[in-house]
Amino acid sequence: MTASIPTNQTILVVGGGISGMTAALEAAECGKEVILVEKTPTLGGRTAQLYRYFPKMCHPTCGLEINEKRLRGNPRIRVMTMTEVTAVAGRRGDYKVNLKVSPRYVTAACTACGDCGKAVSAEVPDAFNYGLAKVKAAYLPHPMAYPQRYVIDPSIVGTPDGEAAKAACKAGAVDLGMQEETAEISVGAIVWATGWRPFDANKIQPYGYDRIANVITSVEFERLADPHGPTGGKLLRPSDGKEARNVAFIQCAGSRDENYLRHCSRICCMASLKQTQYVREAYGEGENGAKSTVYYIDIRAIDRFEDFYAKVWQDPTVSFVKSKVARIAENKENGNPVLHGVNTEGYHRYATEHDLVVLAVGMEPEVTGVKLPEDVIQDSSNFIEGSRDGGMFGAGAASSPLDVNRAVQSATAASLRAIQVIRKTASTEAA
Amino acid sequence: MADNKFAAYICSGCGIGDVLDVKAMEKIATKEGKMQVVRSHPFLCNEEGVQLIRDDIEKEGVTHVCIAACSRRAKAEAFYFPTVALSRANLREGVIWVVAEGSDHDEVRQEMAEDYVCMGCAEVKKMKLPAGNPNRAENKRILVVGGGMSGMTAALEIAETGYEAVLVEKTAALGGMAAKLLKRVPFNGAYAEAQPTGAAELAARVSAHPKIKVHLSSTVAETAGAPGRFQVKIAQESGNVAEEAVGAIVQATGFTPYDLAKLPELGGGQANVVDQAGLEALAMAANGGAIKRADGKEVKSVVFVQCAGQRGSGGNGSGQHLEYCSGHCCGTSIKQAMYFKDANPEVDTVVMYQDLRVPGMGEDFYRSAQNKGVIFTKAKVDGVTGGDTCQVRMKDLILDEEATVDADLVVLATGQVPNAGVNLDQWTEVVTAAEGGSEEAKVQKIELQKGSVLNLSYRQGPDMPQFKYGFADSHFICFPYETRRTAIYAAGPVRRPMDMFQAIEDATGAALKAIQAVENAAAGRAAHPRAWDLSFPQARLEGCTQCKRCTVECPFGAIDEDERRFPLFNESRCRRCGTCMGACPVRVISFENYSVDTVGSQVKAVNVPDEFEEKPRILILACENDAYPALDMAGIQRITYSAFVRAIPVRCLGSVNTIWITDALNSGYDGVMMMGCKKGDDYQCHFVKGSELAHYRMSKIGDTLKQLGLETERVVTHEVAITDNARVAQMINDYVAQINEIGLSPMKGFG
Amino acid sequence: MSDMNTQAVARYRNNFLKEVEERVEDGHWVRMCMQCGVCAGSCPLGPHWEHSPQKIFMMIRAGKREEVLTSDAMWMCTSCYNCIVRCPRKLPITHIMHGLAHYSHRLGLAPKGQPTREIAKLFWDSLVKTGRVNELKFSLAMYFKDGFGQGIKNAMAMQGVGLGLVKAGRLNPMEILGGHACKDKGGIQKMIAKAQEIENRKKGLTA
Repeated sequence: MTASIPTNQTILVVGGGISGMTAALEAAECGKEVILVEKTPTLGGRTAQLYRYFPKMCHPTCGLEINEKRLRGNPRIRVMTMTEVTAVAGRRGDYKVNLKVSPRYVTAACTACGDCGKAVSAEVPDAFNYGLAKVKAAYLPHPMAYPQRYVIDPSIVGTPDGEAAKAACKAGAVDLGMQEETAEISVGAIVWATGWRPFDANKIQPYGYDRIANVITSVEFERLADPHGPTGGKLLRPSDGKEARNVAFIQCAGSRDENYLRHCSRICCMASLKQTQYVREAYGEGENGAKSTVYYIDIRAIDRFEDFYAKVWQDPTVSFVKSKVARIAENKENGNPVLHGVNTEGYHRYATEHDLVVLAVGMEPEVTGVKLPEDVIQDSSNFIEGSRDGGMFGAGAASSPLDVNRAVQSATAASLRAIQVIRKTASTEAA
Repeated sequence: MADNKFAAYICSGCGIGDVLDVKAMEKIATKEGKMQVVRSHPFLCNEEGVQLIRDDIEKEGVTHVCIAACSRRAKAEAFYFPTVALSRANLREGVIWVVAEGSDHDEVRQEMAEDYVCMGCAEVKKMKLPAGNPNRAENKRILVVGGGMSGMTAALEIAETGYEAVLVEKTAALGGMAAKLLKRVPFNGAYAEAQPTGAAELAARVSAHPKIKVHLSSTVAETAGAPGRFQVKIAQESGNVAEEAVGAIVQATGFTPYDLAKLPELGGGQANVVDQAGLEALAMAANGGAIKRADGKEVKSVVFVQCAGQRGSGGNGSGQHLEYCSGHCCGTSIKQAMYFKDANPEVDTVVMYQDLRVPGMGEDFYRSAQNKGVIFTKAKVDGVTGGDTCQVRMKDLILDEEATVDADLVVLATGQVPNAGVNLDQWTEVVTAAEGGSEEAKVQKIELQKGSVLNLSYRQGPDMPQFKYGFADSHFICFPYETRRTAIYAAGPVRRPMDMFQAIEDATGAALKAIQAVENAAAGRAAHPRAWDLSFPQARLEGCTQCKRCTVECPFGAIDEDERRFPLFNESRCRRCGTCMGACPVRVISFENYSVDTVGSQVKAVNVPDEFEEKPRILILACENDAYPALDMAGIQRITYSAFVRAIPVRCLGSVNTIWITDALNSGYDGVMMMGCKKGDDYQCHFVKGSELAHYRMSKIGDTLKQLGLETERVVTHEVAITDNARVAQMINDYVAQINEIGLSPMKGFG
Repeated sequence: MSDMNTQAVARYRNNFLKEVEERVEDGHWVRMCMQCGVCAGSCPLGPHWEHSPQKIFMMIRAGKREEVLTSDAMWMCTSCYNCIVRCPRKLPITHIMHGLAHYSHRLGLAPKGQPTREIAKLFWDSLVKTGRVNELKFSLAMYFKDGFGQGIKNAMAMQGVGLGLVKAGRLNPMEILGGHACKDKGGIQKMIAKAQEIENRKKGLTA
């Protein structure tokens, strides 16, 4: 919220998810100047799109609220949304960074009153809900969006809808003439907290994500479970809106697989265990109650997460099959996906029908396929290890497939390393 | 007070002016709110509106500002006036967006808005701009307890950031467990080979660093004081005691391997059955050559038994020993199997696992071991016998058959037991018994104290509160460093079972938090979650009855007792939740900008209609972290609820003083709703016990209600999550219906 | 090394795994299996064999030599390659299964009367004899492998197919009288003999 000019004493944090927010806040709360850039219109990242966290089953937005409060009260962080890093030059302690700011078509004068949203009729896919629903083309990304400011989709700029949005805004905050802008800033250290994206399930041909309506991904299932999601929190399957009571969870959908992602994504086992509890919460035990089946290779419920696994293991609504599912077919009569494979514990062949299949898709670094500064070191799965000059750091899920708790630890550590860089720059200059 | 100037600004934007009578609110702010300056503006948050306020502050000497516009959660950047006391009356999210549309509701909507204006004015009149803790303590050195990988990392990172570190290690050398390993699991590169631990190099850097002072063969005998001014007595082996003054502490006391002797069923204690630490010792002795057993025989076949004495809680567990998984052991066994294969590919190495847990790039390390010929089998090991030929009885879960496998050596992958010091629950029990005169308990207390790591001279006990299974962890997923002792951070396996890579990351993060803590203490401001809050608790001790509730209930152990048994506030330990304020029966504790009066005056500012108007008034006290945002978001989503409620955000439900409730009921409110976070084992309260305490306190309020001749339903306590937008609206409407059923309060008109 | 047939193999020792690695085509991949079971579920012949590929691999690692080499599983493979395509560890499962089949055959441990094995044998013998496979003789040999009566029945059942092939010029009934061979029959035979010798030497086999 400051306009101070960035210098080599400024830390740049790239990515406004929980890791980026943490890295930025921790540095700022140590008294450092920080610029936090985020590609999308809001902070919060992928955690904001989760319904609950494992293993406490608490809500990610609770922590987001505290972090937003920390941001609002800290004059040392400047947040730039809809902003991407296009180039990095220079070296440790003295980087020149090029930024590209996409037009939001809504200025800071926006009060988030919602009049523009009411005025437009066009709808666009709702990115917050992974495209499972649509939103008005003038929208607030989600109820806890930060900054709390509307966005106008570029598709209605130059259309009567765009003009309607402008006319509806009493605050005069709609600026349809906004253009893409670029900026060059100086910073001393860079934290890459660019996060992850769900592995593209379309690539896993035998699972039919692209052709079987009732095969969805774990991130989509989070949106279904969320009361703010497209189904109002009801677990309704896509093909016919029927309640999904008998749900299959397929582990390692993309992960631990040399055809797709060679690493283990760490979080998916726990995420699926958590999601079995959504089904349980919705339908309870009993004849027509919840029924979850987890198909797995190894259940990786590390450290005290084991408690949660133990609890789910004992849950009569949940069963476990040690098997990598071979393929999914569709029962054309009822739309049920049919899973084919072999339970390797003792060898039992199965062909099991479920109402819905949830693919526990792996974590792929968001920067996969993105050209990063040459100095950045990435591992064989494109996770960021750091930089050769020691002035850039990976944080959170950009650095390794991590759960939220570990991502925050990683971001806190990266924040300190960035502080050390600018401190050394300062002491060298003073000398 | 002579210099104070109070101003109220009423915004008519965002539709406020369309459905509310702004002029009437201006009048109310002047007359009832007693504001000296009252202005309205069509867009208070735009540049012109903000400038209006800024001019009044700068030119007119306004010191107290009430902004009646949107929620305190909105437009905070625009309404950022750090030099004045500020309150927000929530007319947008709290009134116009939640009261049903239409002229039928005009009257109740206007009443609600006017009440909020009065409440905002009343609150700001009682507020003071916080000046920061006057007892600032500026010591910025940081104590690190433990000289293993985590402790050495923390010390070095602190020093490299320009702060001084004091490292205390109980043994005669740095290095800890890491120094006893031949190699470590890889952190980077190809993840194919084990890597050097780097422990010796790190120890050398730590020893040579000008900003690090190392005490070897030493333990912490006493830690007194508070953040920014800890006085630490360090007991040396020689019997001497050194003293160090520090500002913050990183506890990196690591773990002890689970006692092998407790696993006789797995051959624990028998010949040629070792744990992973035992195997490291053999591998160190072999130093890359053929690994030999204790009896000198070269090992030609080895079996690794995973989860030995671990994961006992699972349905597939034994229900004995450690219930958790130690996380690192699969990777460690892979590494150790490689020791054998690298020295001699002919050695038979079998790893028997239930779930092989090697997340991330660990998968490549697993592949590499397989490539080296290590055999992995999913198996349940039923028993091990040691001896010249060890025997492992197992069931191969893939082949679905039982077998007995012979081996020269068996390695049990046992778990990590944290070195976290005294369990404070046990401590409190023993201390209570000892204070009650039990001689046995007095002896027990001395024994317990011997196991302490930090020997804190805190009223609430000598160590950090422990989490499940004795780990000194944070309870919060988003905030892993949110420990319950301000400026004391756990790092490494003492907080959670972990491998070396995570321990290094964790220690680096803890170093940052410790640095933040000393800076906060020096600036007199709060640490997380009310980071940078400058308010602090103040007590009028002349009114104190020495009931000790505040000292007992403080979730952060901030309050000790002095010789006269009065509470002794250590402001820099305080996290500003206000639990002490809520606890105090004589209401002598307050904060400058949050006090019994700031809330109490809001309660009283509401205009309670007489019973003939048939308009109930319900007070909502909502936790500002979760419940209040949920109410706000109900507004953002235009979910309507009854206009008969008046919501006041509180720092934590633990800060709710019963006087607010009785005042409200005495002034004719018909009901009180308390909304806090989830309590219990998976509590979500950011101040640990606030919600729980509130529930407990309210369970005791029944007698008071009876004395007043009121039904117990007039006070209800709810757990509300931040996502409960729709639920909270429903909850309000249901409660209003319930109150209508019970009937309005008979207390009206007596307040 | 033929004593391996009778040698008692200790459980979960490297012996048999090493034997497979050394003597079986692509056998060195067996160690890389992580027991996910996707091959087992992907095999179209799945319902017909006794052991799935992944289970065969575990049996090899557990040292179950006799059971592996006498299993019918690897003889069922139709080379559809589903398993290879889906294997997350990229094991050439089809090739390993063929390799195991071949190895067990060479050791004389392959299940007697296993039809695939019989066909393969007939095919091979026909090939070695003339340097090309005589469709008519090969088919007849197959029909009559279980005796004369069964052979007539089989031939009758396949009559339509046979006649169709004759009409299309794909089958010449006169081939029964000896049939034609490739140009340098002796050369082919020598080549095969040499190849066999090299392979035997490489794999330490005598037979």
